[in-house]
Amino acid sequence: MATLRVDHLNKTFPAIERGSESTTAIDDLSFELSGYVFVSVVGPSGCGKSTLLNIVSAIDAPTTGTVSVFEGDRPARFGYVFQDPRLLPWRTVMQNMLYVQDGKGSDAHDHALDYLGMVGLEDAGGKFPSQLSGGMQQRVGIARAFSVEPDLLLMDEPFSHLDAITARSLREQLQEIWVRTKKTVLFVTHDVMEAVQLSDRIIVLAQGGRLYADIPIELPRPRRASDTAVATAQAQILQRFEAMQEEVEQTRGDAEVSAAP
Amino acid sequence: MSIALERRAVRGGAPGAIRRAVTSDIGARIASYLFLLLVWQLIALYEDRFPTPAEVFGFLWIEVTAGSHGGVVRGQFLEHFAATLPRFALGIAISMALGMVTGVVIGASKVAEALFKDTLLVLLALPAIIWAFLTQMWLGLGDDAVVITTFLSAFPFAAVNVVQGVQAIPRDLRRMSSAFGVSTYRRFRYLQVPAVTGYVFAGLRFAVIIGWNAVLLGEWFSASEGVGWRSRYWYDANRYKGFVGWVLVFILFIVLLDRLVLVRLQRRAFRWRDAQLSAIEREAEEVQLGVTGA
Repeated sequence: MATLRVDHLNKTFPAIERGSESTTAIDDLSFELSGYVFVSVVGPSGCGKSTLLNIVSAIDAPTTGTVSVFEGDRPARFGYVFQDPRLLPWRTVMQNMLYVQDGKGSDAHDHALDYLGMVGLEDAGGKFPSQLSGGMQQRVGIARAFSVEPDLLLMDEPFSHLDAITARSLREQLQEIWVRTKKTVLFVTHDVMEAVQLSDRIIVLAQGGRLYADIPIELPRPRRASDTAVATAQAQILQRFEAMQEEVEQTRGDAEVSAAP
Repeated sequence: MSIALERRAVRGGAPGAIRRAVTSDIGARIASYLFLLLVWQLIALYEDRFPTPAEVFGFLWIEVTAGSHGGVVRGQFLEHFAATLPRFALGIAISMALGMVTGVVIGASKVAEALFKDTLLVLLALPAIIWAFLTQMWLGLGDDAVVITTFLSAFPFAAVNVVQGVQAIPRDLRRMSSAFGVSTYRRFRYLQVPAVTGYVFAGLRFAVIIGWNAVLLGEWFSASEGVGWRSRYWYDANRYKGFVGWVLVFILFIVLLDRLVLVRLQRRAFRWRDAQLSAIEREAEEVQLGVTGA
């Protein structure tokens, strides 16, 4: 379990063409999370969610500010679940699991099998990804991310490409695994309902990568999509989300009026 | 309704069976060979300098089996093949080895691409006969000229395919590998090599076809035995059935090599791609594994 500290983070992308303006993806963002916690980052598309994840995982660098991830005094280990499964198509499911492991031999094999078992795929180790449905491939992606025993697990809209029924079943399965393995999770999504069902805390970003709200979700687990308490919380958060959208549109409208000649 | 059924019944009858036999994969192929033989026979009937299929096959039979005939030494079919094959194999081996190294360098480095891509295009455009002439001028008669002609002709095809393969390694999988901190060795062995394999096979098939063409041209000009030399021998002797017979042998060899060896190797390397199941089969798998979505 790791500590993630985001401190006055700014990220600006330079103008692509001469004459166009540079884009602010993240604007003075600060938050911290630590320990056994499931935190979602929610916001409309283009609010800098994926940029944040890229900076946390060091694929991208901040313009100013700092992001630090630590686990005691050693560098933290990451696990990653992407929007699409990103499995090597020419390796079997088991070989895909072993591809990201440090160890080899029968220990690594058994270890990988344990995690495949958690997503109900212990018998699919010998299959190629093309033999599995999209949902099963994404399960392998989840098993792979947990199997490296990450200090911080980053998830980038992992269910957005799945059909509603498969996504729903995977959300429940993800909760079970998370409760069992007790990891620090940073989960990015544009789906407010999903965030409410899964998270202990929701960080809402507004357009332009500003922090809009930081909302704790205190509901007992396991949470099912059909639970009344979950549905009520979802409705409340959704209202706040809509209020934010209106506020943003209002501000934009005001800006346009004042900019008009 | 009943009319439609009747029509289908007629279609399913004898003419339908013939049509199916002719349009099936093997049937169509056999039909096309028979058609070519027929055209060949017709041309030979009206053109004296064109040997008939029977003459050519009769000649080949003697070339394969007989010891000596009319004072000309024959029955050397296998010996000529035995002379050609090592030259061909060596030429292809060198072009594949250097083609892969060059392809990886050009594919992975923008600078190398800027420096060498045009050179590679020029090499692709040069016909094998130019190399056959040049190597004969540089090296005279002998194995070296033939092997180098084969190598120079096949190499650019191997290299260009590998360049494309290296440039096509999926970016998503590269990012996944760095996100999980996968070691350089594992990335090479399990991501880069397999991603490029398909392109290497495409390069190998091109190299083999172009290289076979080149080894024969090389032998035509620079050898004193071998398949290419033997066809020139009959050409120079004005024995058209001998020349045409050997041309047929070239074609047969390359077709068999491609069908029996290269296509099978390729299929083996792409087992993972052929494992693709239909939606129905996949659903059955899911039920069996007990992991249906609901």
